[in-house]
Amino acid sequence: MTYPITRWLLPALAFLGAPALAHHSYAMFDMTRTVALDATVTQFKWQNPHSFIEADVKAPEGSEHWAIEMTAPNNLVQEGWKRTTVKPGDHVTIYVHPLRNGDKGGSFASIKLADGTTLGQSASGKKS
Amino acid sequence: MRRSLIAPVAALLLAAPLPAQQLGAATKSPPPAGVKEGQGAANPKGHYAALDKLPDWGGVWFLTFQGAVPGAVAQPQPKLKGEYLEKHDAMVAEARANNGVTKRDRSYCSPPGMPGIMRLAQYPYEFIFAPGRVTINQEAWMQTRTIWTDGRKHQDDPDPTYMGDSIGHWEGETLVVDTIGIDPALDIATGYGHSDKFHLVERIHLDPKDHDVLVNEMTMEDPDALAEPFHTTARYRRDRYGQLLEFECSQNDRNPVDASGNTEFR
Repeated sequence: MTYPITRWLLPALAFLGAPALAHHSYAMFDMTRTVALDATVTQFKWQNPHSFIEADVKAPEGSEHWAIEMTAPNNLVQEGWKRTTVKPGDHVTIYVHPLRNGDKGGSFASIKLADGTTLGQSASGKKS
Repeated sequence: MRRSLIAPVAALLLAAPLPAQQLGAATKSPPPAGVKEGQGAANPKGHYAALDKLPDWGGVWFLTFQGAVPGAVAQPQPKLKGEYLEKHDAMVAEARANNGVTKRDRSYCSPPGMPGIMRLAQYPYEFIFAPGRVTINQEAWMQTRTIWTDGRKHQDDPDPTYMGDSIGHWEGETLVVDTIGIDPALDIATGYGHSDKFHLVERIHLDPKDHDVLVNEMTMEDPDALAEPFHTTARYRRDRYGQLLEFECSQNDRNPVDASGNTEFR
């Protein structure tokens, strides 16, 4: 998979020398792309340094297992999350900024829960 | 065979008394330089009421993050020189060649230390006042920073540490903090190294226009690494009833660093 260079190079390099956004760099993610995952949650880890959702994702050739990194619980609380917001077995749509290297992982953007509720930033980048 | 040898040795160690000056013996440290016997942070009783004169820094504080997102105004950066500039430029070249990703030589479960930990988004801080000291608890890596305000001087030869040796005093409602002794193996920020002469002064105060914003005006100097003093300001927004959450990195380390310095993602 290849992406146009100019779209991500400047934002990624801008992190050098800047205040840190998180406990690690976000350069591993392509923050300019958002993909939608038709997902069944297998695990929700509500813990520092980052919360995580693991999910089985519907793919053309069957199912893929994805790991999705979120921000810290203390930030997610502000957006309405709690430890029990999602649980294994929940069928959800998750929007993520995917890993550059093509592995099945990404940085969380937003989620549409089974009951239709949306949390996080929408695919257009606006707060929902 | 081996086990039969180890067991008697272990039993011997358990039973043997330790030398008197070693583990378990009473210790007695002298007062730090600049503090008289019976005074300072170690003798808080009788000095708690005076704390009420200090400003209201209650609640927890989150860094207000600016910059490093597309479209943001570029933030000023430290002006490096010499070998520190060369290392920085090499790191930028490496990042350009590698999708903006840089290599690391230590685990992400290792905290950034000062001054990076005071410029960290996502994880809040709290400031605890006690006689002769200000304690900053940081959710990130559950770090604790102590600023001694009891008039002590810097240690003569502080061990290089993540937090360094911080002494401070109040100028009205501004806490002025002077820090030396930060481990030169750490960075000012990613790609910006420093020497063992790195010196940081922080002026921390509430924003006069908005008392729910705490301002940290930082000045960094380093005769070996910096061509000129670097000034930057961190701002933190108050969450009055927020709390720090537990941060036990080993419990959820999804980003191990491999032997080549590449960050994994699990």
